[in-house]
Amino acid sequence: MHRFGLLASFAFALVTPSLLALTPDQIARLPAPAARSVDFAQDIKPILEASCLQCHGRGRDKGGFNLDDRTNLLMGGDWGDAVQPGSSAESHLIALVAGFDQERVMPQKGTRLTADQISLLRAWIDQGAVWDPAITFARPPPDNLEAVRPELTGGKPDDHPVDRLLAPYFAEHRFRAPRVVGDRVFARRVWLDLIGLLPPPAELNAFLDDDRPDKRRLLVRRLLADHGNYATHWLTFWNDLLRNDYQGTGFIDGGRKGITPWLYASLESNKPYHQFVRELVNPTPESEGFTKGVVWRGTVNASMVPAMQASQNVSQVFMGVNLKCASCHDSFIDDWSLADAYGLAGVYSDDVLELVECDKPTGETAAPRFIYPTLGTIDATATRPERIARLAEIVTGRQNGRLTRTLVNRFWQRFLGHGLVEPIDEMDKSAWSPEVLDWLAEDFADHGYDVKHLIETIMTSRAYQLPSQPETERSQGPSIFRGPTVRRMSAEQFTDALSTVSGVWNAKPSTRVVDNHWAGRNFSPIRAALVPASPLQVALGRPNRDQVVTLRGSIATTLEALELTNGAELSRRLGEGAALQVAAGDPSPAALLERLYRTALGRKPTAAEARIALPLLAPPLQPAAVEDLLWALVMLPEFQLIP
Amino acid sequence: MKSPSWSRRDFLKGASAATLSALAAGHARPLLGAQASAARRAATADTVIVLWMAGGMAGTETFDPKRYRPFEKGLPPDAFLSTFPSIDTHVDPIKFSAGLEKIAGVMDRGTLIRTYTAGDLGFILHSRHQFQWHTGYAPPQSVAAPHIGAIIARTLGPLNPAMPAFINIGQRFDTGESEELKAFTTAGFLGSEYGPFNVPFPHQAADTVRPPGGMTPGRFEDRNRFFKRLLEKSPVAQAGSDFQRESLLRSYENAHRLLGSPAAKAFDLSLEPLESIRRYVPDYEPGRVYDADRGRGASAALSGYEERTVGRFGLGCLLARRLAEQGARFIEVTTEYVPFLNWDTHENGHERLVAMKKQIDAPIAQLVRDLEERGLLDRTLIVLASEFSRDAIIEGKPDNRVKDQVTIPEKIEEPKHYGMHRHFTDAGCVLLFGGGAKRGHLHGLTADERPCKWIKDRVVIEDLHASIFHALGIAPDLAYEIERRPFYVTRDGLGRPILDLFGA
Repeated sequence: MHRFGLLASFAFALVTPSLLALTPDQIARLPAPAARSVDFAQDIKPILEASCLQCHGRGRDKGGFNLDDRTNLLMGGDWGDAVQPGSSAESHLIALVAGFDQERVMPQKGTRLTADQISLLRAWIDQGAVWDPAITFARPPPDNLEAVRPELTGGKPDDHPVDRLLAPYFAEHRFRAPRVVGDRVFARRVWLDLIGLLPPPAELNAFLDDDRPDKRRLLVRRLLADHGNYATHWLTFWNDLLRNDYQGTGFIDGGRKGITPWLYASLESNKPYHQFVRELVNPTPESEGFTKGVVWRGTVNASMVPAMQASQNVSQVFMGVNLKCASCHDSFIDDWSLADAYGLAGVYSDDVLELVECDKPTGETAAPRFIYPTLGTIDATATRPERIARLAEIVTGRQNGRLTRTLVNRFWQRFLGHGLVEPIDEMDKSAWSPEVLDWLAEDFADHGYDVKHLIETIMTSRAYQLPSQPETERSQGPSIFRGPTVRRMSAEQFTDALSTVSGVWNAKPSTRVVDNHWAGRNFSPIRAALVPASPLQVALGRPNRDQVVTLRGSIATTLEALELTNGAELSRRLGEGAALQVAAGDPSPAALLERLYRTALGRKPTAAEARIALPLLAPPLQPAAVEDLLWALVMLPEFQLIP
Repeated sequence: MKSPSWSRRDFLKGASAATLSALAAGHARPLLGAQASAARRAATADTVIVLWMAGGMAGTETFDPKRYRPFEKGLPPDAFLSTFPSIDTHVDPIKFSAGLEKIAGVMDRGTLIRTYTAGDLGFILHSRHQFQWHTGYAPPQSVAAPHIGAIIARTLGPLNPAMPAFINIGQRFDTGESEELKAFTTAGFLGSEYGPFNVPFPHQAADTVRPPGGMTPGRFEDRNRFFKRLLEKSPVAQAGSDFQRESLLRSYENAHRLLGSPAAKAFDLSLEPLESIRRYVPDYEPGRVYDADRGRGASAALSGYEERTVGRFGLGCLLARRLAEQGARFIEVTTEYVPFLNWDTHENGHERLVAMKKQIDAPIAQLVRDLEERGLLDRTLIVLASEFSRDAIIEGKPDNRVKDQVTIPEKIEEPKHYGMHRHFTDAGCVLLFGGGAKRGHLHGLTADERPCKWIKDRVVIEDLHASIFHALGIAPDLAYEIERRPFYVTRDGLGRPILDLFGA
């Protein structure tokens, strides 16, 4: 992927001490040492940061040379010493940065050092290479790894724990949380977020009329108990994450395997999350499609062989870190190295894997290991099944605080618009509220990794129930948390909502949903998640699942609007839907209008809306008029956005 | 060039929600490489038309003819390199294979590459090579790689704001290998705003920009007004501003504008005079349905499919001309990839190529002439290409042969075995017209005897892409950021434009 990788690796390896010694003539041509006292923090650190650390800092040691601290600097690299304190002219580091020899110039990447920079480095070495011990370039320990249980302080003792933990945050940002949203908005949120469907008018009314003080919690529980619709809705989330689909590349030559029956049953039975993950990491034939990867016919690039795909996907999906860069070369954007990616791949590989850097074999191999050795070690001499079983143990062990936090963060992002940690696949970073993240993660684990418990906990917090915050533009990340953001329905939510309003559902599920294990199961109605992606769903953002997708694009596009304006699928559904609605035989145009508004928007039309819409429905009722009304309703932002 | 009927002002007025919001992040961020400013100055084209010869077009049967030997019973399969005689072109030393007389007549406007070398991807799967040709990367990839049309759409935006920037003509997605085709016919991580506007059947193109089936324009406008009035009274619309809502409404406005714009008329082939259509499809009969609906898979009768599709590619070229006139940015017209059909000749190669040449010869030549006549050829780069070439004997590369897919008899007794039935990835042809490409120029040399491999000036995909980008003023080391890492528009940023292709 990155074109600089190749150059860097052999730079030091080529250099031998004899080649490095400068001739007297070259020494004479070196920029003279700066004639002043040099300060490490002010003068030298910026040079190292700009030009050296990418290959020799944060634990990296190209050519065996690492610059994390003075001790490492003085140890030199594979070729010998780097600096001779007190004598810059004899220091190999100076010879390299001076670059008399084009083949052996440092840095290998980026721009050469200026004469001024070389002068400063010389002066610093001549003055004894003094290094402020407080400064280190070592890898900082990753965040969100150890299980941590924050104390429940702040707020009022009766408050929801999330809100107690947020109280100091709000106080710090001088934010007074407003009242929670009304029942109608809450109902639309939870119906769509939990089971992906619009609230049916009768059930919505029953909820509005309910006067029990804990009716919101009871509603959440009731929806969570709708096992079929819950499983169908969450199938979409997990299909994206586990890149499971009913069609796609790789199936053609047996280079891919679906896991839908296993996945659906796991969601339907609310399989505890640690067990769910264990069965994906150390799979049975029913769940092996995830780590099997996607392979087309022919030769496969070294960074994408199945074991490497497993390495990338296990770490991204469950641990919230991205090893894709590190699959070709040591990452330039974070601390992951080629050896990390290959170490995890080695767990899955039948053979010892040779590290291949940007398609060039390196001759090195990496012992099988987990990306966070502090969480547990893997015996490199164990058999493949033993290694995989051990990996599953480490990933799903109670000590792994990352597994739980990653899922908490994904859910928080889904339900509230932005993650507690952003970007959501950089879980090594700190959360804006570590307390909320840590508490939810521990509570989740304490409750037997019960996913539904976690969802209920988030949804019953005031934080989830705050009024949504309009966004004027997509910011780079969350600024100050003040409440959820307005969200757009997913392709599946929209398509199902359209089916709900029109009455037109899909004819049959994908043949890869209904396989032999499933003959007896009766899906009704056939929701969008159960069918292969249609052009309408694709236009609305249902992704091609050849890769793991943790976040869908949320921006409305012109192609999508075209599909909604004159697309064949939408037109067909509206046409058939209009016929069904006419056939429903409502007693009056007003009754029909009210029924459609209640179904689509969860409310009656206002008087102003009725004045506009009723003339269209004047008798004799025309299917075309109903079709146009249905279209206008589903095009309204009020319909398409989750408030 | 004729002065364009749109302007930058129109663009800003018409820019989609996503285009604008891309400026405010949320979309893949461009990372300019060292060659960015140099590339921008060099632009010689505004529009690209890719003419895709799907299924592997044999160079020796088209634009790089070699030793010909007519069919006779008992012919050894290695006795011929071409199954057609050579013909002269408008450029003296350049010969074509018979059946391409009309394109030969416009060779003086074009540049011919004979040394395109496809990737070394092992056991052949057409769609893998097509993926590589269209994205510059071999699948599988760890991120969804964008099609070159999407890269151009993302980088340059629409030329006419009312016209989709990436239009893809002639490919259905419900035939063999369709999942693999979908995997590269996409904007990938760039986001669907830059994805293809698919027109599988050119004769139905007008439907893609018309009110939905059965709806009169009057009702369509009434429906729109009705929606606007409801929207105005919607309680939510009266609340404060929100990005999501604005982007929904703006994208809807854009779609509606496209349907009502003059650009939409460009999609309507019924507005084209009959004699003009017949210059693209000589045997065109009005009202005839150029539909391949029944020719879906390998089991479909080949001749039946081809009979029904004769003219489809020609109409696609005509449509491309109409769209280019209205300011399309990137258009691809394909002969359509369906396994074992069109250029994918596993048997009857000679006979099938007679038909394929008939299908492409007139419309491609006419497209070049029409664009020239309209003053558009200078700024429109036409690229005719295929995923690889073919040979009668060699599967893969001469020095790295791969698993055979077709059994070749020791002696050819039947005409069905006379042709190029194996996939040859070492040297194939690419033809360029306009957009700053040299006129009457030949690039690259191939061997006169089997293996007909490249001898001089090999062209690989990243350099071909870099050359297309060069014409458009896009640097080959431009990258877009995905998951915080750079994804280069040519493979790893290594593409270098082939400057020999361009100039007076």
